[in-house]
Amino acid sequence: MKVSRRTQAYWIVGAVLIIAYAIIPVIWIISLSFKEGDDITNNAFLPTVWSWENYKTVFASDLFTSALRNSVGMSLIATTISVILATLAAYAISRLEFPGKRLVLGVALAITVFPVIAIATPLFDLWRNVGLYDTWLGLIIPYLSYSLPLSVYVLAAFFREIPWEMEQAAQVDGATAWQAFRRVIVPLASPGVFTAAILTFFAVWNDFVFGITLTSSEAARPVPAALAFFQGASQFSQPTAPIAAAAVVVTIPVVILVLLFQRKIVAGLTNGAVKG
Amino acid sequence: MAAIEMRNIVKEYGDGFKAVNDISLDIADGEFMILVGPSGCGKSTLLRMIVGLEDITSGDMVIGGERVNEKAPRDRNLSMVFQNYALYPHLTVFENIAFPLRLNKKVSEDEIRRRVKEAADMLELNEHLDRKPANLSGGQRQRVAMGRAIVRQVNAFLFDEPLSNLDAKLRGQMRTEISRMQRRLGTTTVYVTHDQTEAMTLGDRVAVLRRGFLQQVASPRELYEQPVNMFVAGFIGSPPMNFLPAVVSGQRLKLPFVEVDVPAIAADKVTDGQLLIAGIRPEHFEDARVLDESKRAKGATFRAQVDVTEWLGDSQYAYIPFEANAEVTKQLADLAAELDGEALRTQLIISIDAMSRLREGHEGEFWVDTRRMHLFDPGSGENLTRDEAAAADLASLEEEELRERTAR
Repeated sequence: MKVSRRTQAYWIVGAVLIIAYAIIPVIWIISLSFKEGDDITNNAFLPTVWSWENYKTVFASDLFTSALRNSVGMSLIATTISVILATLAAYAISRLEFPGKRLVLGVALAITVFPVIAIATPLFDLWRNVGLYDTWLGLIIPYLSYSLPLSVYVLAAFFREIPWEMEQAAQVDGATAWQAFRRVIVPLASPGVFTAAILTFFAVWNDFVFGITLTSSEAARPVPAALAFFQGASQFSQPTAPIAAAAVVVTIPVVILVLLFQRKIVAGLTNGAVKG
Repeated sequence: MAAIEMRNIVKEYGDGFKAVNDISLDIADGEFMILVGPSGCGKSTLLRMIVGLEDITSGDMVIGGERVNEKAPRDRNLSMVFQNYALYPHLTVFENIAFPLRLNKKVSEDEIRRRVKEAADMLELNEHLDRKPANLSGGQRQRVAMGRAIVRQVNAFLFDEPLSNLDAKLRGQMRTEISRMQRRLGTTTVYVTHDQTEAMTLGDRVAVLRRGFLQQVASPRELYEQPVNMFVAGFIGSPPMNFLPAVVSGQRLKLPFVEVDVPAIAADKVTDGQLLIAGIRPEHFEDARVLDESKRAKGATFRAQVDVTEWLGDSQYAYIPFEANAEVTKQLADLAAELDGEALRTQLIISIDAMSRLREGHEGEFWVDTRRMHLFDPGSGENLTRDEAAAADLASLEEEELRERTAR
């Protein structure tokens, strides 16, 4: 079927509008981050002078560097644990018949629709009592409980796609159940594992609510929360430009990850969605 | 290598359905045993119980003198080729074949390379060792699956309809290949198929199953010549055996086109006026005009109108419709349904000389070799003319052949 010139034109206009809508704020923030001093009030989209000043400010501040360390550390730990647990759980759900299987899936889904803000305050009290307040662990636990259900869903869809014969063949070939899982099932589900890992990483990396309620110092505060505590060069100036610079810095790893694993994510998402 | 003994094996599912019912079967060391039957007869279930992928409800499974009912598949030391091959898509051909060896930590890297090479040589896979299964043709995948099976020293090979995903030509080639490989390695083999050509050509012995029950275990020749019942007779042979209503009248038997003497072997099993079913294979008919004079006296001749003929170059089939009463028609329809077929009309399928110029819609004179006719009890399906002495003869021949081969 040949698409007429007119429809083609509409498509192009539509696409340009949507891309602009999404990308202009990003470009704006990038441009802001290069404006030095009072240049942010220059009433122009681009800086008058391109300057690295804000980036220097950001990296000079302990607030940001420690927050960056916290974010990277907690995201990696939470992602690793979440993916390992989700792989095992999803495998059990897709392969075994056990009582309460539907309940497990139902509860998992219910957790994901639970508003984060609703449990942030009770968790704040609880954590203060048990001494988890303002620690890495205190943040990793809620991160896990929110990211696990999604990972389990994505991975269960993948495992269901892998024919039973694969495992049976491995067992006949002399593999234990664990060996069959490790050497045959996990490699075959690797697009799913990647997808789950990246989705988890994004969710944790971008978290703000837990980050700001469950921390009080640089010990565990992640970047999105730390940005709220930013100060300008002087006490009286708005720290807009340094915040923009920090935002650009924290976006870079996400962009790199997406570009690196683009193919895998797309394959992963569509596989799970279409066939699962 | 080992013998496999099954004693009163039963598989009952949760809903009480018995997929395999009290099957006892001895498979000798080095023997090639075929499990055959229409779909749903329990042949695959039985195979999966041998390998351990399916629990055994009751009975004993003994491999190499050891009861293995409770053993996990990996402890039974068997190898299996699956219908869909079940190759590991993330591994190369080399790694696929090496997989069972790699699981055993004691095998050295050199040993693995040598054994994989040996298997690849036998199956002519050498140029594909670095490729992934996704880039192979169906026949090549099939060979990789076989390579994975033969790379270890196992007690037995198990095949679950390994050729059903291949096209007809490749199937023929692979059939020969499997046969050659089994003869060369001399490993006990159990092979499940629903294709009777595979059953007849590959097996030392063939076990015919029907709805979870074992019907007959015998050499292909015995199954063909001395079937125990109507089911086996109808299942083995292509085109299938013709079944005709036959009424006993004194010492004579009335069939739709001819009247013959009641065979001596069945004489005291039948009563006057009884309705029987006669089974005659297509090749026991002939066009009377091209027949040797010497043969003519040994059978009966009759005239009938030919409905359709099929000329295949090396052979020719003619279809002759006949009328049967409702009871027989229903019985034949039931049998056909069970054999995965459909009986549209009661007709004789006869094989005649390819030189014969019979024309469709014309009447012809036919000869039938009534000595080769079997008579079945319409109720039980039992073969009333089975010659036990001849069957025992065939069985001992087959045993001798197997002994001779395994001794080498």
